Amino acid sequence: MVSIRHVYIEGTRSTPEVDFDPELHVLSIRGQSYPENAFAFYEPLLKWLDEYLADLNAESTVEIELQLPYINTTSTKCFLMMLEKLDEAFKQGKQVGVRWLYDEDNESELECAEEFKEDLLLPFRILPKTAE
Amino acid sequence: MIDKQLLNVQKLLQDHGILICFSGRLSQQLIEEYGEAVKSYLESENRPKNEIFHIFSIFIEMTQNIKNYCTRISGSALGDQIAQSSIVTIGKDGQGSYICAGNLIEEEDLRELTGRIDALVRLNKDELKAFYKDQLKKNDPQNGAGVGLIDMARKATSPLAYSVTKLGNNLSFFTLKAVV
Repeated sequence: MVSIRHVYIEGTRSTPEVDFDPELHVLSIRGQSYPENAFAFYEPLLKWLDEYLADLNAESTVEIELQLPYINTTSTKCFLMMLEKLDEAFKQGKQVGVRWLYDEDNESELECAEEFKEDLLLPFRILPKTAE
Repeated sequence: MIDKQLLNVQKLLQDHGILICFSGRLSQQLIEEYGEAVKSYLESENRPKNEIFHIFSIFIEMTQNIKNYCTRISGSALGDQIAQSSIVTIGKDGQGSYICAGNLIEEEDLRELTGRIDALVRLNKDELKAFYKDQLKKNDPQNGAGVGLIDMARKATSPLAYSVTKLGNNLSFFTLKAVV
């Protein structure tokens, strides 16, 4: 079996830090996201996720950690696609869950997380950053 | 002579409460520089985080929409003139903080754009949310201008307002204002 590689992308002003660890089963994305072309940034990550989820066995527990102070609308579209893939895996019996950390002083960040959660079935915890 | 005119320029900016103004061709890098600068400035004024977030976010959507339009139209005869015509301001007036941006636009694009905004202005916040979710699901991520407008309308405290100045030669100057 070909093992899936660890993905690490350093954050910039307009793109988040990405750390997808297929051994620990922790996929984290932290930071602002408003690149010129969000699809170009997220497409390889979506492909990675497809392969990772296809290989994932039912025993492993995957945690998706999101901390997104600001995401523009095209990035939001990409996150929606990503979360739909995860939700699909959850419906197939895989143990995937989201942990979203937000800044308590910014209610918009909380609203953004809640709006994603509304349409999904997978476990989705929304926690203030201070609780970390 | 610009030196003789600076006082007039400053008066105009002050009369409209303009904090920051950029005029000319927009690039992703400029959008980031200006966006982050405005954010730090507003943070130093101790404005509520939510308000700063809304101003920043509308600024990004508005400028990226203009930039995407300029990129899309860059092959046309008027592409260069249109790209140079971008102007964006952030300020504060009697209604609150605002982001107001303008650019030249071709006639057929203008009709589509104003049609979209007219449709948004009639919706309340719940309807905007439903429409946003619906469009986000349908939307092709590579052409997301419509969702950006809905997002601005949701974050603004009063309906989006636009103006059109016909300039002939198939061109108009279009402005969009969002109040937070």
